[in-house]
Amino acid sequence: MKPILTILKKEFKDITRDRRSMMMMFIIPMLLFPLLFTIAAVFTARQDQKVRTKTLVVALIANGNAEAFRETLLKRDDLKIREDIAEEMIHQFIRSDSIDAAIRVDEQFDAQIADLQRGQIHLYFKSSRDMDASRNRLTSLIRDYENQIVNHRFQRLALDRTIVDPVQVRRHDIASPRERIGKSVGGFLPYIFVIMCFMGCMYPALDLGVGEKERATLETLLVAPVSKIQILLGKCGVIVLSGFASIANSFIGFFIAVMLQREIVARILDALQGMFEISSILLVLSLCLPLTIFFAAALMSVSIFAKSFKEAQSIMAPLNIIIIIPVFIGLLPGIELNAITSLIPVLNVSLASKEIFAGTIKLPLLLEVYASLIALAALSLYGCARWFERESTIFRET
Amino acid sequence: MVIAKNIVKTFKLSRQQKREMGDGFQGNTIDAVCDISFTCHPGRVFALLGPNGAGKTTTLRMIATMLKPSSGSISVAAYDTVTQSQAVRENLGFLTGNTGLYNRLTPNEMVRYFADLHGMNSADYNTRRDHLFALLDMEAFANRRIGKLSTGMKQKVSIVRTIIHDPDVIVFDEPTAGLDVVTSRNIVHLIRDCRDAGKTVIFSTHRMGEVSLLSNDLAIIHKGQLQFNGTFEDFQNQMQTSTLEDEFIRIVEQA
Repeated sequence: MKPILTILKKEFKDITRDRRSMMMMFIIPMLLFPLLFTIAAVFTARQDQKVRTKTLVVALIANGNAEAFRETLLKRDDLKIREDIAEEMIHQFIRSDSIDAAIRVDEQFDAQIADLQRGQIHLYFKSSRDMDASRNRLTSLIRDYENQIVNHRFQRLALDRTIVDPVQVRRHDIASPRERIGKSVGGFLPYIFVIMCFMGCMYPALDLGVGEKERATLETLLVAPVSKIQILLGKCGVIVLSGFASIANSFIGFFIAVMLQREIVARILDALQGMFEISSILLVLSLCLPLTIFFAAALMSVSIFAKSFKEAQSIMAPLNIIIIIPVFIGLLPGIELNAITSLIPVLNVSLASKEIFAGTIKLPLLLEVYASLIALAALSLYGCARWFERESTIFRET
Repeated sequence: MVIAKNIVKTFKLSRQQKREMGDGFQGNTIDAVCDISFTCHPGRVFALLGPNGAGKTTTLRMIATMLKPSSGSISVAAYDTVTQSQAVRENLGFLTGNTGLYNRLTPNEMVRYFADLHGMNSADYNTRRDHLFALLDMEAFANRRIGKLSTGMKQKVSIVRTIIHDPDVIVFDEPTAGLDVVTSRNIVHLIRDCRDAGKTVIFSTHRMGEVSLLSNDLAIIHKGQLQFNGTFEDFQNQMQTSTLEDEFIRIVEQA
């Protein structure tokens, strides 16, 4: 055990002096969420303000109809109404961004409304602009006008409006805010954690495997009176620590991000507090540990096999994509944690994390996930040890 | 003492390696070392000579337990390299010309690391460390990062790393390859010091000057087979050419 600790201590010291590894362990995981949240919040707020306060230029072709509606539009400060544009020019004006939208009222509109029939108002817009702001704002005004007409009709017919709403649906969602947010945010978080974990493992694995080969320090270590399995365990220990640190720092980064965005906190703070119970975090971290061991062993196997840093990176890059696939599947609707998905590596962590954050995890499934992950970690370490024992792997260049 | 008995090392060839061997090559394996036997004695320097690709490094790696012989046996300090590999490594120091160091560690940390791997206690380590650092004049840069040291300084760190545990057998694989004259001289002095201290010293080289300067015993290896094995005096006595270098070339070409 002592040689393993000696190697682990040395490798850890070595890694903590490597700027690239430290970036992947601390800086990126801690900054990722605050940066993402801040950028998203600033961008959304700016865009939202721009859309809300912008004066829309709207062409109106009323054909002498809907006078009340026309007056409403003309009175609004946030609209500039142009009545000088011919119907056939509407498309061209909108496409060239000369106007934001156009409203055309049918010639028979007033007559149809007076006959208690349905009249038509045409709204022209370009949905690809400004988050569809023109359509949203003008539709709302048309709806208000429609309401006025409907109320007027009910008064004229001396009817109560509830007559057309015989059934009132009252929704009672028994899912707690924690469940609702946990299922959505809880599915997204593992996506980040798993990638962070993989990246956190990748650089130390490169450095401690093929890096040792390239620096020609591996031979000196192999001649020391320690077994290869001890060397491997010492190195893998540091890789696991690094990967795990990346996950833990991602949690910290996420927490900082949430606290920095007061708007988010005000809306969903209760749910997030529930999600971020210490027991939930510890459970998710405990799931990540065997997964990190699996990553460490797999990446170390690649690293020790490669002849050069470049070759190792070229093998590891596609692995990164392969890892993303099961995490992505975990985000798809309808994919739930069950007896089969509990056995699929990475996907099981993603789905189980979602359930843990939502507070709906079932113990038998959780145990199945643990069992499969521990078996996977043990198998990958065993495979890596066998791989490391092979002369043809270590001295592949000769 | 190091005793090698009929050692053979066979490597399986990859497809690419087979292609590189040419169309005339048949089979899937190649014997890098074929039936070699030799003995290295304490207090003597054993030189292993051969051109590039002769099998020197493979032989030394088998002595150092990094590779297992396909057949035959090697004993180092009376321990078998296959069945008692850990004991062999406890009694062995291994230095190559391109030995790498951990650039982010200091010489102190590097040497301490290997002392710890050899299970040295603090008292023994401190005594040995102080002696070697003073001998090689290393105190001035003992706490500087290795990556920032000169080639000569790095070589000194490598030397101390190799002998910190005071091994009985020291193996030098082309120790002066790529080094400047001053650093090479340090290595030559080290080999002499080790010999004088009663250690078993093995070194591989293709420089005849170093052989005449240092070796007591000598083996010439070519295409994995021993072409000569005896004392340096024996070698000189059987020479058919005027210089050591010419004689070496003659033997290799004859093979």
